[in-house]
Amino acid sequence: MPALSSTMTEGKIIEWLKEPGAKVGRGESVLVVESDKADMDVESFQEGYLAAILMPAGSTAPVGETIGLIVESEDEIAAVQAKVPSQPSAQVSSLPNDSASNVEVAKNEEPSLSKSLSSLPVLSDAPKTPVSEPRLVVNEGRIVATPRAKKLASQMGVDLKTVLGSGPHGRIQAEDVLRAKGEPISVPWVAESNAPATANFISGPSKKMSSESKAKSIDLKGKSFGQPGQTIPFNTLQQAVNRNMEASLSFPCFRVGYKINTDNLDIFYKEVKPNGVTMTALLAKAVGVTLARHPQVNAVFTSEGISYPPDVNVAVAVAMEDGGLITPVLKNADKSNLFELSNKWADLVKRSRSKQLQPDEYSTGTFTLSNLGMFGVDRFDAILPPGTGAILAVAASQNNVVAGKDGSISVKRQMQVNMTADHRVIYGADGAAFLKDLANLIEENPSSLGV
Amino acid sequence: MPVDKGNLIKTRSSAKSFSAFLFEPKDLVPFKRAWDWQKNWQKGLLAQEISEQAVWLLEHPSCYTLGRGATQDNLLFDSKNPPSDLFRIDRGGEVTCHMPGQLVVYPVLDLRFYQTDLNWYLRELEQVLIDVLRLLGLSGERLSGLTGVWLAGKKVASIGVGCRRWITQHGFALNVDCELFSFESIIPCGLKEVKVGRLTDWLPGLSIKDVRPLVLKVLAQHFQLVWINE
Repeated sequence: MPALSSTMTEGKIIEWLKEPGAKVGRGESVLVVESDKADMDVESFQEGYLAAILMPAGSTAPVGETIGLIVESEDEIAAVQAKVPSQPSAQVSSLPNDSASNVEVAKNEEPSLSKSLSSLPVLSDAPKTPVSEPRLVVNEGRIVATPRAKKLASQMGVDLKTVLGSGPHGRIQAEDVLRAKGEPISVPWVAESNAPATANFISGPSKKMSSESKAKSIDLKGKSFGQPGQTIPFNTLQQAVNRNMEASLSFPCFRVGYKINTDNLDIFYKEVKPNGVTMTALLAKAVGVTLARHPQVNAVFTSEGISYPPDVNVAVAVAMEDGGLITPVLKNADKSNLFELSNKWADLVKRSRSKQLQPDEYSTGTFTLSNLGMFGVDRFDAILPPGTGAILAVAASQNNVVAGKDGSISVKRQMQVNMTADHRVIYGADGAAFLKDLANLIEENPSSLGV
Repeated sequence: MPVDKGNLIKTRSSAKSFSAFLFEPKDLVPFKRAWDWQKNWQKGLLAQEISEQAVWLLEHPSCYTLGRGATQDNLLFDSKNPPSDLFRIDRGGEVTCHMPGQLVVYPVLDLRFYQTDLNWYLRELEQVLIDVLRLLGLSGERLSGLTGVWLAGKKVASIGVGCRRWITQHGFALNVDCELFSFESIIPCGLKEVKVGRLTDWLPGLSIKDVRPLVLKVLAQHFQLVWINE
C-alpha cells in the first residue's frame, strides 16, 4: 500500500484495474487507492504479470502492506498463486514473507515520488489509527476480555474472537476492540492543560474509593504507541520532536525556579471561570504581561546577535494522542484579553487535534509554557525548543506549610515553576527578575489580568 | 519537554513560480467535455508533451457524479433513470451534483512541484476556498475529519480529486447562486446530516462573475501560478 500522504496510515483499495494473470506494462495503472477524498492510480514501475491480489477491492490496508504480487515472467504466476489463496477474502492481510525471491512486491511507490525527509511535515487530517496488527486473529476457547471491551464489542458489532488482546495474558482491552474496528483510539491522556492542579489528583490517598473512581484509575494506564515486543517507527511529528530535542543539546541552558502562591489566582480563576476563561489563558496572559516588561526573556539567540521579537507570543505545549507534541501559539498574549485568549486557545487545541493548524499558528512562539500540573507533579523542568530563549515548566498547585517573613506558619497553595533559558541571551539575573515579577503578579494582583 | 516543531518548518520559497494555462469557458460545459479536457491535459503532462499546468473555471449543466469508490446507496433516485446525467468518474469521494450557478474549478497540477501528498493537496484546496470566502467577508470552516468547506454549518463547497503519478484532476465546486434542490435527490458526500448552502444565502445578489477573480487570485497565490490566458 503506497503512502499517498505523509500522514496516511492506511488506504482503501477502490478498484483493481488488472485481473490476476494479466500483463502489466511499466507505468500502467494497476489499482486505485483512495485516501480521504482523493483517488490515486497506482502504477507498476516494473513490467510483468499481476500474479496475485492479496487485498481485494473494498478492503483497507496499512501503508507498506503487501497488497498484490507482480512477477517478471508468465511462468512464475502459477508458483506464486499456489502460495496464496486464490480467492482472497477481505480478511487476508499478510503474506508469508518467504514467497519466491524473484517476486516483485507490488508496493509501487516510485522512489522518486516519495517524500524527501527534509520536506515540510504536513499537518492534515489525523490518521485514523495506526493499524499494524493482522486483522484476522482467532481466539479459540474461552475469551478473556475486560467488561468495557465486551460492552464496546457488542455495541460496535465486533466479534471478540477476531480481536487480539494486548492486556495481561492476552486479555482483550477496550482499545483492542477499537483498534479491531478501526476506530481512533482515545486514551485519556494529556488533555488541554487547563489547570495547574486538580485536587483529586494530589489530595493524597483517597478516603473512599468508589467503584467509579476505581475504574477510572484502571483506565489511566501509561501511554504507549506499541505493544510489548514491537518496535514502532516514529511518526512525522515524533521525528520533528526528536530533531528539536537533539538540537537543544547544543545550547548552553540554565534553570531557575520559583514557588508561587496561588491562593489569589485560584480565587480570581473561580470568579472568571463561569465566563469561559481557562487556566491556560490566565497563565499565558500572566506570562505575556510579564514578558512585555522583560524583553530580554522574550529574546532569542541568532548568529547576528540577540534578536528581540516585535510581539509577545506565548506557545503552549499540547501532547498529541498519536505521538509527538505541538505548541499552538497565543499571539500577543500580553495585549489580548482573557476571553479572546480562552476562545483562541480552545480553537487552537481543537484544530491541533485534527491537525489543521497553519504553520504560523504553531511556529511563531517567542516563549513556551509547559504545564503538567494536571498530573499533580510537584516540579519538572523542560527542554528549550530551538528558536526561543526560554521555556517555563509549570507544576501543580498544592497546599504547603509556609513560614511567613514574620515567622508565622500558614498553609498556602503553591506551585513550582522552573524556567529553562539559553544563557547566551538570558542570564541568571534576567530569569530570576522575570520569575519574581511573574510571582508578584500572580500572588498580589491576579485580577489585573482581567483588565 | 515541549518543543516548537514549527522551527523546523520552512515556508515554501515564494520566489519560484509556475506558468499555468487558464481556461474560462463562458458557456455551460457538459461534464464529459470538461472531464476529457482534464484527462487529455493530464495525459500530456504524464507524457511530458506539455510542461505547463492548467486550470479550468467553469459551470456545468445539471448533472450528478459519483467517485470511483462511491456507493449508489446515496442516490435517492433510480440510477438507471436519473433526473439528469449521471457519471461515475475517477475521483475520490461520494456522490455530488453540479448545476449552473456553481463555480467548478479543475486544477490539473503536478504535485511534484509542491508536495507529493494528497492530504496536503486536499487541505490546500480547502484553504483556497476559505481564503476566497474571507475576501468576501465570510468565514468558511473545515469540519474535522471531513473534506469540504462549511459556512455556519452548511456545506458550500465540495472537493474531490483524482491523481495519476501526482498529477491531479477534478477539484472543487463552490455553490454561488445555484439552485439547491438537486442536492435533495442525493445524500451529498454520503453524509446524511449534511446541509447544503450557497453563497447568496449570505450575500444576496452575488454572482459567479464576482467570485471568479477572487478564486484566480487565491489559487495563483497558493500554487505560485502565473496565468497564461487562452
